[in-house]
Amino acid sequence: MSGANGRGQGAGSSAGLRTRLVMLGMAALFACVTGQLARLAGTAAPEMTVTLNEPMARTYVRPDILDRGGRLLATDIEMPSLYADPSLVQGIDDAAEQLGAVLPDIDQGELRRSLSDRNRRFIWLRRGVSPKLAQKIHDLGLPGLEFRTELRRAYPLERLAGHVLGSVNIDNKGASGIERAIDETIGVETTIGAPVNAGLPVRLTLDLGVQHALEDELKAAMARYESKGVAGLVMDVHTGEMLASASLPGVDPARNAEGLDPERADKIQGGAYELGSVFKILTVAMALDGGRAKLDTVLDVTKPLTAGPFTIKDLHSSGRPLTVSEVFIHSSNVGSGMLALAEGPERQKAFLEKLGLMREMRTEVGPVAAPQMGSQFGRAEQITVAYGHGIAVAPIQFAAATAAVINGGTAVTPTYFRRGGEASPSAQRVVSEETSRSLCVLLRRNVTESAGTGKRADVPGYRVGGKTGTAEMPGRGGYQEKSVVSSFLAAFPMDAPQYLVMVLIFEPKGTEAAAGEILAGRNAAPTAGRVIGRIAPLLGVKPTNDVAQLD
Amino acid sequence: MHPLTVSAAFLAISSAFLLYGLSYDTRQLEARVAAQERLAERARSDISVLKAERAHLARPARIEPLARAQGLVPLTDQQVADQAAESTIRTGAIAR
Repeated sequence: MSGANGRGQGAGSSAGLRTRLVMLGMAALFACVTGQLARLAGTAAPEMTVTLNEPMARTYVRPDILDRGGRLLATDIEMPSLYADPSLVQGIDDAAEQLGAVLPDIDQGELRRSLSDRNRRFIWLRRGVSPKLAQKIHDLGLPGLEFRTELRRAYPLERLAGHVLGSVNIDNKGASGIERAIDETIGVETTIGAPVNAGLPVRLTLDLGVQHALEDELKAAMARYESKGVAGLVMDVHTGEMLASASLPGVDPARNAEGLDPERADKIQGGAYELGSVFKILTVAMALDGGRAKLDTVLDVTKPLTAGPFTIKDLHSSGRPLTVSEVFIHSSNVGSGMLALAEGPERQKAFLEKLGLMREMRTEVGPVAAPQMGSQFGRAEQITVAYGHGIAVAPIQFAAATAAVINGGTAVTPTYFRRGGEASPSAQRVVSEETSRSLCVLLRRNVTESAGTGKRADVPGYRVGGKTGTAEMPGRGGYQEKSVVSSFLAAFPMDAPQYLVMVLIFEPKGTEAAAGEILAGRNAAPTAGRVIGRIAPLLGVKPTNDVAQLD
Repeated sequence: MHPLTVSAAFLAISSAFLLYGLSYDTRQLEARVAAQERLAERARSDISVLKAERAHLARPARIEPLARAQGLVPLTDQQVADQAAESTIRTGAIAR
C-alpha cells in the first residue's frame, strides 16, 4: 500500500508541478501580450496626432484641364505647406524673427500671436511654398515647425485664357470659371497630403494656338489704339464651341484676387454693351426672313427718321435711296430703322427672342450678363434697337445669335466643354437657309467692296466677311461722342462659314495707326483681319486665290 | 513525459517559430510595399511637375518667337496652288 501511496504521492506532486508550469507559461504569455500592448500604445501616439490634424490639412484633388488638342492648361502639383504646433515651439520671439528673415512678407504680429496660443496644436503659417524656400525654413531647425505636402493648382501657360479657366481657393476648390464648373458638374474629392487619382482630364473646346494668337493680336491692338480694354472670341458657328475667348486686361488664374478688379472683368460674358451697327446683321436678317424685303428692295433713306423728340439720320448720308444690300454695306441707321418699322414691334421682339437675345444665358464659365432693354418698345426703341442702341447684350450672346444667322439658320449654344464636336440635330431653326445665305453674301460684300465698312478686315485667300459697329458709350448727360466701343464681327470662309470672330475695342483713341479715327472700320476690322490671318491656317482652313471667283 | 505531449510541445514550439518567421516576412513585405508606394507617389508627383514644366516650356508665347526666328510664318494664299479649291460665293464686286 505504502508503495502505491508513494507512487500516488509522486504522481500528485508531478501533476502539481505540471499545473504550476502551465500557469507559469500562461503568465509568461499574458506578460508578452501586455508588453506588446504597451509597446503599441507607445508607438501609436504620433499617428494619433496626425489623425487629429487631418481635417485641417484637407485639399481638393482636381482633374487636369486640357485644350481641344490635349495640351495642358491646368494641373495639380504637390507643394509643401508650413504649419506650426505652438505647444512645441521654443522661444517664440526668436522663432518669429528667424522665420521673418526667410519669409519677409509674413505678418510678424500675427505670427507671434499665433505661436503664443498654446491651446492650439495646428496653425497654418504659409501654404504652398516653393521647394527652395521650404528647404531654407527647414534649415533653420526650429522645433514645432513642420511641413505638410498639399496639392496646389498650377497654370503653366500663365495668363493665357485666364478668364475662362477661372481660379481656385486656398483649399484647391473651384472658385470661378471652368474650375468652378468642374466642381459643380464633375465633382472633386478631398485628399490629405499626397494626391490620389484625380480622374479623367477635362477637355475644353479652346485651342491653345488660337487662344494665343487672339490674345497676342488683342494686346497689340490695345497698345496700337491706346484703348482702355479689348476683348475677342472665336466660335465654331455650327456647334457653338468656343475656340478662344479673351478679355484684356487679363487675369492670372493663379492670383484669384485679380478677378475682383473691375477693370479686369471678363468683357466677353461679364458685361452687357450696346454694340452698335453690328446689330444690323440681325435687323437685315429679320427683314429678309420675314419676307417684307429683299436684297434689292429700295428704301428712301434720304430723309431722317423721327420718333417723338428724336431725329435719326445717317452719319454719312449717300443722298440717294438705297437697296437693302446698300443699307447694310453703307451701314445706314435710317435704312435699318425703316426695316424694323416695317416689321412692327411684336415681330421685332419675337425675332430677338427667337435668337435668344431677350433671355439670360449661362455658359460653363458662369452666368452671362443679362441683356438690358427698356420696358417700353415704341417707335423710338424699334429704330434704335435696329442699329444696336437701346439694347445691351454680352458679346458672347450676340455672337451666338449671329452664328445662328450665318450657319444655315439653326440656333447654337456657346460651350466650353468639348463633347462630340457636332452640331445638335435638334437645334431650333431661327432663319431660313436662304436668309442665312443672303447674309453671308452681304457680310462678304461688306469686306470686299470699296464702300464696305469692313474692307480692312480682308485676308487674301480666307474669304472673310464681317460687319463693323461703333457704339457711343453712355455716360453722364447722355452718349459720349468720343468714348466708343468699336466692334467687328467676322466670319470665314464665307462660301461655307465655319468660324466666327468677334473683336471689341473699348474707348480707342484716334491714333496714327487708325488715321486719327475711332471708327471700327479703322481699328476693330483690321484687328479681326490680323487674327484671322493667324488662326485660319491653325484651324485647317485652306487658303484659295479668290480674285478669280469675284465677278 | 508522454510521447504525445512531447510531440505536441515540439509542434507548438515549431509552429511558434514558423509563425514568427511568417510574421517577420510579412512585416518585411509590408515595409517593401510601403517603400514602393512612396516611390510611386514620388514618381507621380514628379510626373505632374514635369508635365507642368513641359507645358510651360511649350507655351505658344515662347514657341512663337522661336518659330519666327526660323522664318516660319502663317500660311497664305500665295503658298497654295489649288485651282479646284476656288470659293463658290459670288459677291458681284472686285476685291483687289
